Order: sequence, then C-alpha cells, then structure tokens
Amino acid sequence: MEAISKEKFQPAEKTANVEAIVRPSVTYWQDAWRRLKKNRMAMAGLIVLIILAGFAIFAPMFSSHDYKTQVLKDTFLKPSSAHWFGTDQLGRDLWVRVWWGVRISLFIGLAAAAIDLVVGVLYGGISAYFGGRVDDIMQRILEIIYAIPLLLLAILFIVFMGPGISSIIIAYAISGWVTMARLVRGQMLLLKEQEFVLAARTLGARPARIILRHLVPNVLGLIIVQLTYVVPTAIFFEAFLSFVGVGIRPPMASLGKLISEGAQVMRYQPHLLLYPTILFSLILLSFNLLGDGLRDALDPKMRK
Amino acid sequence: MLKYAVRRIIYMIITLWVIVTATFFLMKLLPGNPFANASAKLPPEALAIIIQQYGLDQPEWKQYLKYVVNITQGDFGVSYQYPTRTVAEVISKSFQASLELGLESLFLAIIVGLTLGTVAALKHNKLGDYSAMFVALVGISIPSFVVGPLLSLYVGVKAGWLPPGLWDGPEHRIMPAIALSFGTIAILARMMRASMLEVSSMDYIKTAKSKGLSTTAVVRNHMVRNAILPVVTILGPIAVNVITGTLVVERIFAVPGLGAQFVESIYSNDYTMITGLTLFYASILVVVMFVTDIVYGLVDPRIRVAGRR
Amino acid sequence: MAKPILEVNDLRVSFKMYAGEVQAVRGVSFTLNKGEVLAIVGESGCGKSVTAQTIMRLNPTPPSIIKEGSSILFDGKHEITKLTNSQMEHVRGEEMGMIFQDPMTSLNPTMTIGAQISEGIRKHQKVKKVEALLRASDLLALVGISNPHERLHQYPHELSGGMRQRVMIAIALACNPKLLIADEPTTALDVTIQAQIIDLLRDIQKKTETSIIIITHDLGVVAEIAQRVLVMYAGRVVEQGYLDEIFYNPQHPYTWGLLRSVPRLDSDTKSALVSIPGTPPDLFAPPKGCAFAARCPYAMKVCTEIDPGHFRVSDTHSSACWLLHEDAPNVERPIEAGGRTHG
Repeated sequence: MEAISKEKFQPAEKTANVEAIVRPSVTYWQDAWRRLKKNRMAMAGLIVLIILAGFAIFAPMFSSHDYKTQVLKDTFLKPSSAHWFGTDQLGRDLWVRVWWGVRISLFIGLAAAAIDLVVGVLYGGISAYFGGRVDDIMQRILEIIYAIPLLLLAILFIVFMGPGISSIIIAYAISGWVTMARLVRGQMLLLKEQEFVLAARTLGARPARIILRHLVPNVLGLIIVQLTYVVPTAIFFEAFLSFVGVGIRPPMASLGKLISEGAQVMRYQPHLLLYPTILFSLILLSFNLLGDGLRDALDPKMRK
Repeated sequence: MLKYAVRRIIYMIITLWVIVTATFFLMKLLPGNPFANASAKLPPEALAIIIQQYGLDQPEWKQYLKYVVNITQGDFGVSYQYPTRTVAEVISKSFQASLELGLESLFLAIIVGLTLGTVAALKHNKLGDYSAMFVALVGISIPSFVVGPLLSLYVGVKAGWLPPGLWDGPEHRIMPAIALSFGTIAILARMMRASMLEVSSMDYIKTAKSKGLSTTAVVRNHMVRNAILPVVTILGPIAVNVITGTLVVERIFAVPGLGAQFVESIYSNDYTMITGLTLFYASILVVVMFVTDIVYGLVDPRIRVAGRR
Repeated sequence: MAKPILEVNDLRVSFKMYAGEVQAVRGVSFTLNKGEVLAIVGESGCGKSVTAQTIMRLNPTPPSIIKEGSSILFDGKHEITKLTNSQMEHVRGEEMGMIFQDPMTSLNPTMTIGAQISEGIRKHQKVKKVEALLRASDLLALVGISNPHERLHQYPHELSGGMRQRVMIAIALACNPKLLIADEPTTALDVTIQAQIIDLLRDIQKKTETSIIIITHDLGVVAEIAQRVLVMYAGRVVEQGYLDEIFYNPQHPYTWGLLRSVPRLDSDTKSALVSIPGTPPDLFAPPKGCAFAARCPYAMKVCTEIDPGHFRVSDTHSSACWLLHEDAPNVERPIEAGGRTHG
C-alpha cells in the first residue's frame, strides 16, 4: 500500500451539506413537460393539432368561396388553382367545406370535453368523496348507464329530436361522461386511503384544503389524459352519426358528412373522399399520439 | 359464482328496462302522431282505425304497458314505410349475414390483435414494438367508415382483386371483415401490450424464470395466460364496436344485413323500424356484456373460487 | 477444507437510466463454501438484491449490465457471466433455486400450486406429469404443508402468506439445487411466521446440505441461521467474516451502527435504540472515497479521498475501513457494538 501522509488521518471537518441532494429537484409539472417534450411523436401530434386548428379558423375566412354557395356549372371540378380541393356535386368549394368540417369536428370535440370535465369529474368526485351510501347509489346508476350502448341510443335520440350540432352534443352528454366519472372516482378512492392524505387529516387540514391541495393535483393528470381521449372519441361519434345519416344538417358540412358523400362518388371523384379522409385521420391520429404522450408523461408511476 | 351471476342478471334486466322505457318516451316526443304525414292522404276513418289498431287512443300508461309486453314477446311492430313487413320479419331475414360478418371480424380481430400486442410487449422499445404500435395507432385513428370505402375503391374497384361489394361467395367476406375488424384489432393490441408489460414486471415471472423455464415457456404459460384476463373484460365494449361498425360497413359493401337495413330506415324515417332495430341491437349488447362478465368470472380462479362479487 | 460452491469476484452491475448509470453493485467479491449459509445484510438499496439476482442472471438486460471483469464462478465450472441464455436455463432451477421476498405476488395467481412446482421438475428431469406431481406432493410435505395431495389442486389465493412462502421454498427446492438464494424471505411475513420459515430453512439446510445465501436486513434472522456474514453498503462489501466475528468483533463503523440499531432484551444499559443518521449516497455518482464517510462519526480526511480497500482482521474476517490503518487514531467503539461483551 502506498504511503499516505499522517495528517490525512485527522478527523474530517463535517461539511454542512452532507445530505445535499445531488439531483436538482423538479416539480411534477416541470418533470411531466420535460418528458412530453422528449416524446417526439406526441409533440408532432400537438404541433399538427395547432396547425389544423389555425387552418380551421382562418382558411374559411380568407377564401373567396363559402361552404354553401352552389355553382351548378362548376360541379365535380378536379383540384385546381381556383378550387384547391376541387368542388362537389353541387359545385361547392371543397377546400372551404373541409375546413368547416374540421371546425365543427374540433368544436364538438371540445364541447364534449367540457361536458366530461364538468359532469364526469363532479359525479366521480362527489361519489368518491362522500363514499358510503351516496357512493353506492351513484355507482349503481353509473353501472346501468354504462351498459347502455351510447351510439345506438344517440342515433335514436337524434332521429326523434332532429339532426344538428346541438342534438349531437346533447346525445353525447347523455352518457359520454361515464368513463371519466369512473376513472375519477377510482383514483380519488385510492388517494383517499393514502398516507399523505391521512397525514394531512391528522394535522387538522380542512376538507376543502384536502380536496384542493392533495386530491385535485393528483387526479388532474389523469383527467387531462382522459380529456385528450374524449376529444377524438366525440369527433368519431359525430362522424359516425353523419355517416349513417343523422349528423349535421345540410348545407353545413362536417368531416363525417363529407366522407359519407365522398364515398358515394368515390369511383369517379376520388378527391371528394380523399381530402376529408386524410384530415379526419390526421386529427384522430394527432389526438391519440398526444394522449399517449401525456399519459406517459403524467403517470407518476413511471417517474424515475 | 351463483350470487354473482344473479346480480348480473338483475342488472341486465334493469338496463333493458331503462332502454325500452327511453325508446317509448322518445316515440312520444314526436310532434302529432307518427302518421301525421301519411294521414293527409288517408281518409279520417282509416286514420281512426290505424290509431285504434296501434292503441294510440288509449291512456299513456296503458300504451306503455302494451309496448313493454309486445317487446318482451319479440313484437317490435310494423314498418311505417312498408306496412306489410314487421320488424321481427326483417330481423330474422337479415340477421344471419350480420352475425356471420360480426363473428368473422371478431375472430380476425382477436387473433391479429392479441398477437400484435404480445409481440409488441416482448420487443418492448424495439423496432417490433414501434411498428406494431404504429399499426395499432393507425387502426384507432382510421375508423371503419374510412377504411371501408378506401378498401372498396383501391382493392375492389381499381386493383380488382376482390369484389368491391355484395355478399355471395367467401371472397365477398374478406374485405368487409377486414374493414370491420380494423379498429378492434388496434384496441385489442394496445390493451394486450399494456397488460403484457404489466404482467412481465410481476414477481411471479421472476419465479418462473428462476425455475429455469425457457423464454417461450415463461411467455406462454405465465405471461400470456395472465395478460389475457383483463382483456376479457373489454370484450363487451369490443362487441359493441363490432356491432355498431356493421352499420357502416354493411352499407359500404352492400351487405344485406341488419346494419344496412338500419341505416336505410334512418334515411327513410321509418320510426318503428329504427326503434325496433335499436332495441334488438341493445339487447344483444346487454346480453354480450352479461356473458363476458360471466366468462371473466369463469376464467379467473380468484373470482371463480371465491364466489363473492 | 470445504470446497467453494460459488466464487464471486469483483462483480460490478449497473443500470442504464435516462440520466446516466446507476452503479448498483461496485466490485463485490466473496466466496461461498459447500453446505454453508451466508447472510448478506445491509439497508435497502445497498445492492444486496441486485447481487443475488445477478447470480441467477434474473435482472433484465438492458437496463442492467454486468461490467467487464466481473466473475461469478459456480460449482467450479460454470462462469455465470459468460453462459448463454439456454445454458443458463439449465443452471437456474436445476442447480440454483431462489425464494423471493413477497409470497403474495411471487406465485402465479392463475396456476395451481401443483403445476407451479412440477413445472421445473418436468423441464429439468424429463419426467411424466404424474411423476412430477407426486414429487411436488413430497416437496410440499417436506416444507411442512399438511394434506399435500389436496393442496396440489389449489390456487395461491387459497393459501395464507406463510403457506405460500413454504410453496415458494418447495419450488426452489424442486430439483435439489446446490445453491439456494433467499432474497428477504421473511420480510413480508408476520413475526411468528418469520420464525417458522427460518426454522424450516435451517431444517432443510441440515437435511439437504444445500448452500444458502440469505439476504436480509434483519440481524435477528442472521443470528438464527447464518455461519458467515457479508455486510454491504452502497454497492460494496464493507465487512465480512464469520458470524461471531461480525457480531462480537465488528470493525466497520457501519456494522457498529447496524448492530446498535437492533433492539435487545439483555441490554444492560438503558440506552435508547440508535439509528444511523443520514441517507446512503446517490449511486448515480458514488463518492470516490469511502461511501459511508459522509455518515460516519469517525470520518477522517483520507476517508473522503481514497477508497480504503479491505483490511484483514483475521484469515476469515476483513473490513473496508481506514480506521484499521496503522496511522489511524484509536477510536473507542461504542460499547453496544461489541455485542454481548460479557455474554
């Protein structure tokens, strides 16, 4: 063994930062954002959505055409500099109609998300917070609603109520929020039993404080992730209804309606099917990518 | 187990009752009476007879009772559009094609979906995983009413490999089944992957490896077996997917099934037909949900033996 | 002189994470003789479980990697770090068995007990199903389970925690392995059951003369069953020796701390239980000197700068502490650390 000078065997001065944490601490949301940024597919989804939303807002405004004017001499035009996506069987400009469709799809998606947020979160939260008898009854009701096939009932509902955006949104509101309510309740119940909530309660924190400081932040991640899945589900819902003939009232166009119309003439006018199809799939794909990315980013169990 | 089954049956009955009641009140929501349009052409005596025949002159609670009784006996009423056809007749005539299409695509979806999910989980974070999951993601993002027309156009019309529509020989089955199973494959693959990944981090997988079993044996006997269990629970929603999918797929490929019939009745505002078919679909779905619950109880020894809840 | 069954030399294992490499095991060496029971002790995260699982090659790679230069020689002929996966399958289960911490989760919930025990037997001994099941039933009897025939057809959830751990032991013993690794086999169990399981392991060890590595943080368990002890801290062995040497003549301040934190009935001083202040270092960037220096009340300048290496206390006892250097000041050991000094 090599020589070591004797003075090295003097007691070491105790440094203050013995237990200093080597890694910098990051908050939950910073950490989540960092992980989301690293997920290239999710970021791509987010960017595509922002671009699509921008086009949906501005493209119809800056076009010399509108979605309903029929120019019967210009039916079934192929894409050209005058009509970028061509025209349909009534000579309406497809470019404008497609972006109107995106507008409506996104609007319905967001409206559905808002309904989910209000009804689903409240229902699940109340059920979990009060527990006991209240929870029991609310759960039984939920189980029955959950077993009802939403899409079929919605068709029936709209057939009888008359088509239109509001009918679609009301039809969605009947039972679309059930999954959210179940998720929120499950998570809240889990959290309620956990030590940190118990600790807060022991320290004398009031219920309002427990809900706001401890429960909400821990459920928020789950809610956000679920919302990104609700939006594409609702968009799909509208498109499906439009396709089977109970969607948006003409001459208004939604993507589902455009796809349905395009499918009927696809043999000779494939562009009428292609453009709405591409945009529709792009929206759904982007939301799903973003949702997957958010789920990975916000799931505290994955935190390393 | 018996207690569990009885509980599920009670739920099933309540759900069906809620649906029947909802459809009844929706019918009542219609302005005037369902024959308002046709009545212009009918002489008042004929209208009175029809109204009497349908029981529309009775008090509402009596109408409701009659409605419920009729439905439990399989009598969904007569088509508004074609007064010579009852809804029950239409169902018995076109159900076969729908059932066949549904089962074929369900079978296809289960095989392909589970395989894809398993492969993705085993190749976690490798190329196989990414490609399988990309396929699944595309499957979720592109619904059957988009895949259907595209398949029909490019494979059917342009390439001419398969007939673009109709329902004759086995070659007519392929494209509708693929279009219908597309989304379901994606859901199953994602679910199976997540389930496999969860199972693979379980302690009992370490135990299995510590016995010196080969990777194949560990995957087959320990991982897949446990990973499939939670997938069974979504078979109900999956069936919903397939059945509602038949509505559009049958229309696209001109399959003479219930779905095509349903959409046609929507376009022609045939109210009794719409309600009748909805009730029929809904009861199938509710029964399927019930069956999957029971099946889950049977395959999971923890429920089977304990017998509680 | 007993022959070694397992020789571990300079074992280094790291886990690749997004932020870098966690060096979980940093140069562990020890030898286990045939028929011997070795206990590895240390707090959670010290690398004891990783060491055990690396011996069975159960850590998934990636993220874990066995570093170049590490050697695990089993039974004088198998270099574990070099075996192919299929060769490893014949070592696992057949020559080595492992028992895990939590019996509630380490059995497959959808497979009968019988199937889980006989699985390994059928794989390694190429016997028929019936024969394997008969053997499984014998094993259940060996680990003290009544009505073994009926138990074969039961599922794990029908058994209590202690019973499940017995089943785990039966699985590990299925092919008469030469080495049994028990990774915290009692931690998840009730105190009364803990004693039964330790008794069982000791009985089995006597009957079968299997070598056992038992991993634990419970010094009570160590005293009950082990002949030799390995004390680990932050991925390294800080002290090793025979049970008496570690309990009655401990040399490392970390070992002193461990011993002082054990409650005892015969303690003549009315002192409170002592805990070791501070937390172990972050193994993303292990300190270059002694890893324990930051928590050590006797730390010297040299401790934070140079790694101590192992000082021999006797032929069988060594400790990685600069206090054993000839230039180091004599420190008075805390009295309790000497164990039962008058006993």
